[in-house]
Amino acid sequence: MDILHNLAFGFSHALTWQNLMFCAIGCTVGTLVGLLPGLGPLATISLLLPLTYSIPTTGALIMLAGIYYGAQYGDSVSAITMKIPHASSIVACIDGYAMTLKGKTGLALFTAGFSSFIGGTVAIVVLSSLAPTLGEVALLFGPTDYCALMLVGFVCVSFVTTGSLLNGLAMCLIGVLLGQIGTDVTSGQTRYTFDIPFLADGVGLVSIALGCFGIAEITKNLDAREERSPFNGKIDLIPTWAEFKRIIPSALRGSVVGSVLGILPGGGPVIAQFAAYALDKKVSKYKDEIGQGAIEGVAGQAAADEAAARTSFIPLMSIGIPENAVMALMMAAFIIKGIQPGPNMISGHPELFWGLVASMWVGNCFLLLLNVPLVRYWLSVFKIPYAVLFPSILFFCCIGTYSVNNNLDEIFVTAGFGLAGYLFMRLGLDAAPLMLGFILGPMLEENFRRAMLISRGHFSVFVERPISGTLLGLIAAFIVWQLVAFFRKSRKAREAALLPTANTATAA
Amino acid sequence: MNQNTARGLFLAAIALAFGGGALLHFPIGTFSRAGAGLFPLMISSLLLLIAVAMLVRARLVPPVPMDFNFRNIALIMASLGGMALASLYLDMAVGIVVMVFISAFAGTTYSIKRNAIVSASLILVAFGFQQLLGLNLPLF
Repeated sequence: MDILHNLAFGFSHALTWQNLMFCAIGCTVGTLVGLLPGLGPLATISLLLPLTYSIPTTGALIMLAGIYYGAQYGDSVSAITMKIPHASSIVACIDGYAMTLKGKTGLALFTAGFSSFIGGTVAIVVLSSLAPTLGEVALLFGPTDYCALMLVGFVCVSFVTTGSLLNGLAMCLIGVLLGQIGTDVTSGQTRYTFDIPFLADGVGLVSIALGCFGIAEITKNLDAREERSPFNGKIDLIPTWAEFKRIIPSALRGSVVGSVLGILPGGGPVIAQFAAYALDKKVSKYKDEIGQGAIEGVAGQAAADEAAARTSFIPLMSIGIPENAVMALMMAAFIIKGIQPGPNMISGHPELFWGLVASMWVGNCFLLLLNVPLVRYWLSVFKIPYAVLFPSILFFCCIGTYSVNNNLDEIFVTAGFGLAGYLFMRLGLDAAPLMLGFILGPMLEENFRRAMLISRGHFSVFVERPISGTLLGLIAAFIVWQLVAFFRKSRKAREAALLPTANTATAA
Repeated sequence: MNQNTARGLFLAAIALAFGGGALLHFPIGTFSRAGAGLFPLMISSLLLLIAVAMLVRARLVPPVPMDFNFRNIALIMASLGGMALASLYLDMAVGIVVMVFISAFAGTTYSIKRNAIVSASLILVAFGFQQLLGLNLPLF
């Protein structure tokens, strides 16, 4: 009953005309920008973050959340119609695009939109039930436990986003080091600022995000010199009852998978989509059709994608630890607005928490009502030539980064991180873990120093406490497992390389 | 160039830059009373370890070729730098024109007319941001 009461309280905030407007703007702009080539949710939020500075706190966060799941939806539209994938819509390309080739674009888009609605709805129930409980549990956490939890986040995010633990961890550590630039909170000493005054407050998160994602993506697209043809196919959105009956079970399965995986560190939409798709391939009545343009191949992954996008707010809002790069950016938005996400957020700012949760469902309705019938108009975005698009994106990057502090020097910083982002890309390093490291770095240092002060410099405190001991044990087991897997793979590769030589020698 | 080796060297350079900076410029202290340099030193040491592991791994796995297109990234950097400088010393409207005309060289085609239209549109958008959203842009 408490949850219903809290949700009613949340809806009373989310349904004010002002917040409804912010939610609608967020969903619309998110969808629109999410459609653009190369701009996924991460780049979209970082591009639009500065626009929320002058908006009231609840409205700003509702708008940013709307941008996030709006961009998720926009991604799937471009994946289904033109096979242009973003990180959050890779799976949508498989069956979604296959359906387009069969002339069923409208059905695929309806399935994605409707399944996203189901996924979002289920996730909101999970979010409103679990977040307050986890928030209470988080109050039991000490500095050592927080350190261990952040390290678990690093390891999971590193592995999930990049597929390589070493690459991901390296990027997390670079992020942590970038977070060291500025004034040391404890001693007041400036670090790595080279006596440049505006670096005393540290490097701006927006500059890093825009540089590493926005500008680096533009350069990647320019290097590829891709000629994208706009979608001009027929869009017939109304499904038959038989098709509708195929959507529901798959969407429900995807919702559960997405909700669970969204909560776990390192989880989130990308892994949830793959898991839901794999589950459908195992248990669906139409599993043989999946991969060749089956409704289930779109429904399950879309529901999981949307569910995970929403439940990934649970660790952020209840424990104060973002579990992926997008959540790290959302955390920055909370902090910019003077709100510290964590166990005290729900009791300290109930109108914000419950308003945000309720607005997610409102946003769901907006996405369903506005985007599904209007999808053919959204697709006209693709008719804008890239030669017009990329200077415009660069312009928004400049305005975005400048408006943080009204300082033109920030544009130079963004350009520097654009170059860094390009280098990372060419070196095969993913910038997403860097964002997480950058956000969590100062928190990690603070908690580490506190833990060391309490234990008088003894590291044993990390294994003596049950929570941190267990978490560190899990990290150690995971690293050992990765090492064993790497050496096994290398040995197999060496044996495979030696085998033909040995056979030739025997034959001779 | 082998991407795996270059990656290891790049990470090692970052680790040495931050670690060296911590060692040379900031007090390290002890674990119980950490100085400003202790944490960055620890993190950069870890990064150096990973970089070394990557360099070792680069010898065990097949090499991956790496390519760079310096022209495009240099043009984008120049356009951003040009925008910042022109905005600082002249006006943001000039900055926008500079950015569009320089960055357009990175595209597949170059059209002065198209660049002029894009610049004018973006100046209008910037003006809208200034007047409607209240952004403090150095414009006119």
